Amino acid sequence: MGERSDGQPRSTPAQPVSDAGVSLLVEAGAVLASSLEPATTMGQVARLTVPELADLCVIDLLDDDGSIRDVAVVATQADIAEQLERLRASYPLDPDGEHPVARVIRGGEAELLPEMTRMLLSSFAQGSVHAQFMIDHDYRSAVVAPLPVRGRTLGTLSVLRLGDGARYGSDDLELVCELARRAALAIDNARLFSRLQGTEQRLEAVLASVAEAITVVDEQGQTIYANQAAAELLGVGSPGELTSAAPGSIMPRFLVLDEQGRELDLECMPGRRLFKGEQAEPLLVRNIVRATGEERWLIVRSTPIREPDGGRVLYAVNVFENITEVKRVERSESFMAEASRVLASSMDYGETLGRVAQLAVPQIADWCAVDLLTEQDTIERVAVHHSDPTRLALAEELDRGYQPALDEPEGVPEVIRTGEARIFTDIQPDALAAYARDNQHYELLSAIGATSVIIVPMAGPTKTIGAITLVSAESTRRLSSADLALAERLGRRAGTAVENAHLYTERTRIAHTLQQALLPESLPEIPAAEVEARYCAAGELNEVGGDFYDVFAYGPDGWILAIGDVCGKGPRAAGVTALARHTLRAAAMSGQSLSEMLGALHQALREQPPGADMCTACLVEMKPNSAGASLTVALAGHPPALLIGSDGVAKQIGQHGTLLGVLDPINVTLEHAELKAGATLLLYTDGVPDAGVAGGEPIGEDGLIELCGRAPELSLPKFLEHVEHVALERARGTLRDDIALLGARLLNRTASQR
Amino acid sequence: MLGDEHLQIDVRRERDRVVVGLRGELDLLAAPVLQAAVESPEIDDTEMLVIDLQDVRFVDSAGLRVILVAYERSQQRGQAFALSRGSAQVDRLLSIAGLDEHLRIIESPDELLV
Repeated sequence: MGERSDGQPRSTPAQPVSDAGVSLLVEAGAVLASSLEPATTMGQVARLTVPELADLCVIDLLDDDGSIRDVAVVATQADIAEQLERLRASYPLDPDGEHPVARVIRGGEAELLPEMTRMLLSSFAQGSVHAQFMIDHDYRSAVVAPLPVRGRTLGTLSVLRLGDGARYGSDDLELVCELARRAALAIDNARLFSRLQGTEQRLEAVLASVAEAITVVDEQGQTIYANQAAAELLGVGSPGELTSAAPGSIMPRFLVLDEQGRELDLECMPGRRLFKGEQAEPLLVRNIVRATGEERWLIVRSTPIREPDGGRVLYAVNVFENITEVKRVERSESFMAEASRVLASSMDYGETLGRVAQLAVPQIADWCAVDLLTEQDTIERVAVHHSDPTRLALAEELDRGYQPALDEPEGVPEVIRTGEARIFTDIQPDALAAYARDNQHYELLSAIGATSVIIVPMAGPTKTIGAITLVSAESTRRLSSADLALAERLGRRAGTAVENAHLYTERTRIAHTLQQALLPESLPEIPAAEVEARYCAAGELNEVGGDFYDVFAYGPDGWILAIGDVCGKGPRAAGVTALARHTLRAAAMSGQSLSEMLGALHQALREQPPGADMCTACLVEMKPNSAGASLTVALAGHPPALLIGSDGVAKQIGQHGTLLGVLDPINVTLEHAELKAGATLLLYTDGVPDAGVAGGEPIGEDGLIELCGRAPELSLPKFLEHVEHVALERARGTLRDDIALLGARLLNRTASQR
Repeated sequence: MLGDEHLQIDVRRERDRVVVGLRGELDLLAAPVLQAAVESPEIDDTEMLVIDLQDVRFVDSAGLRVILVAYERSQQRGQAFALSRGSAQVDRLLSIAGLDEHLRIIESPDELLV
């Protein structure tokens, strides 16, 4: 040490320091590079100086609040360091005071204090205790060097000699300044690092608290970061389990499917695609936990972290958004909408239930079966579906041999008896054994391999009419309480549909019989004219009601041609058809006008119980005269009649009038026309212009008028048949509404008619 | 089968009215769906019920009947009732049935009724 203080004076710090000084700086460089943690680093720096360069070394830093704090105190005697630290804690240095540390921090210039007198010590002491301490420990010589960085002074490095030790000279000053500069740089780096670490910690804190699961994965598939949500999603206790897991060891725990239920290659996941240099669109996946069968819907988004030059992808940041609830609701709604549509599409419930079973597989379950309670109180399986036909055969075998009886305690019979849904999860072999009737039954049940089963009642408006069974087996997906709720809705919907279909079939049968019986068996002979009618009922989907037509005498030499369309609900609408015909006939017989006849029918309908039973009608009074026949047309909500000339040109006759039975008062306006030789009068119901397929273009008024062009060349029966044929063709055999046609022509045989 | 994407119903509440917006074909198959919608208690308290037929291509007599059921219901509830125009076929049907004389026919479901 003495050598150093005795060494050659150095005029500027830029000049090399002594060999011992160089070795100290080298050593300091190693220390400073080894740690980025400020407190540790400063302790190490201070220790380097003692005892070679100093008896006591203190490093002070300026805090953000402007106070001065000692971060390292090292002395040859440990008790001195401890005492000084306590003292400094009690008497902190005044940043604006005269203590050399405060002055150096303020001024940024190093101070060399070769010889400190008692007076000098007292002049900057922070009170008498401090002064006494310095005097007692014989403070002799000191260098206080600033810790400079980027134009600021972070603090000071102070070295002191006590007692009789050598005094510091200018070369010591340079060395201490150089050491201080390096220490300052290290402190700055350490602070920047700790700030960066702070940022990372904050970022981690943010990521940890977000609901979305987030992982960062490298090219080898190693997870290098995962938040708590990711740990939960992937079913491990902590993020650490993910980051320590070997690549590819976690994902086999899951079955990953696409939206349609097909298994996905993990190489398709957006994160993996990024490393292959591909576009990584967000992907919707259905993820099933193999162990529990729990199903989740996830949107996976991946973003690359590239090398600084923007090249190679270093990491993929994966964000998993759990949309299971949203998806479940959406799927339930779309499933129910689809099921309702299927159930409403046909009154043949055997076929319909088969389609519902198909709908449930594989959307909800691997198997779906539908059982109905028969009138004999037996249980009949009417539909069973599995997407794999070979597995389907198993179920059919089970049905043949082991159809359950209504009095069995468990399963479908229980649900039908009680009307309460049941869910069985985690089905174990011993439970199957207890349920099975014999070994073969057990084997069949085992082969089906149900892991969970839901049985819901098919509840009609008045009673439980059957049950729907959903089975989850090979897909590993476990049926949940959400599935149970959906299945119960399906059960109610299907139950209502089937019970309605029963009622409907009955009603339709009665109504059609009635209606057929109520139409005139044959039309009366009219002098000098021929009349023809055709009637074609719509398919089974028709509501009850329908078209009617009639021809009857009116006054001394007149005739009424009547056609109409009844639309109502329930079997009583069939009765309305009869009511319409008889009311019109009765009114005609009592001599009422066309308008009065329609008014009478309107009143008769109004007297029916409310329910919008409505009726349209077209009445044509035909009165022969010398030129042919005069026609008077009255319309009530009915399309106009057509008068087809001998040239095939059709003209609408009749003024629009109010339909009957709903709106008061009705307005009817009469229109007059002449039926001449060779002309054809055609009355029709709107089933004719409306004939067409859903979504397609129906015949329409114009199409019908065009069809009339064939009238002159055809006999009246042939003409009506032609119109009906075209309508049926256009409707592809499925009429939406009844078709009725009523035609009249003067008896005036011409050679052109075939 | 007739039941494909037949009729979509969108019931929306707008100021003084509930608008039952229909899209598709209002026929025998679809009529029960509309009937359920207009019988919903949710529309009990509105001042006015508008059946929006703007996007309806086709109405048959069963469809017409449900429109009239809706009309009768709103009469019972003391609500104003209006129909907005549909396709040419629909307008023709409304005209043939004489509904245009009895029911309020408006050009747009938002049209103010005074």
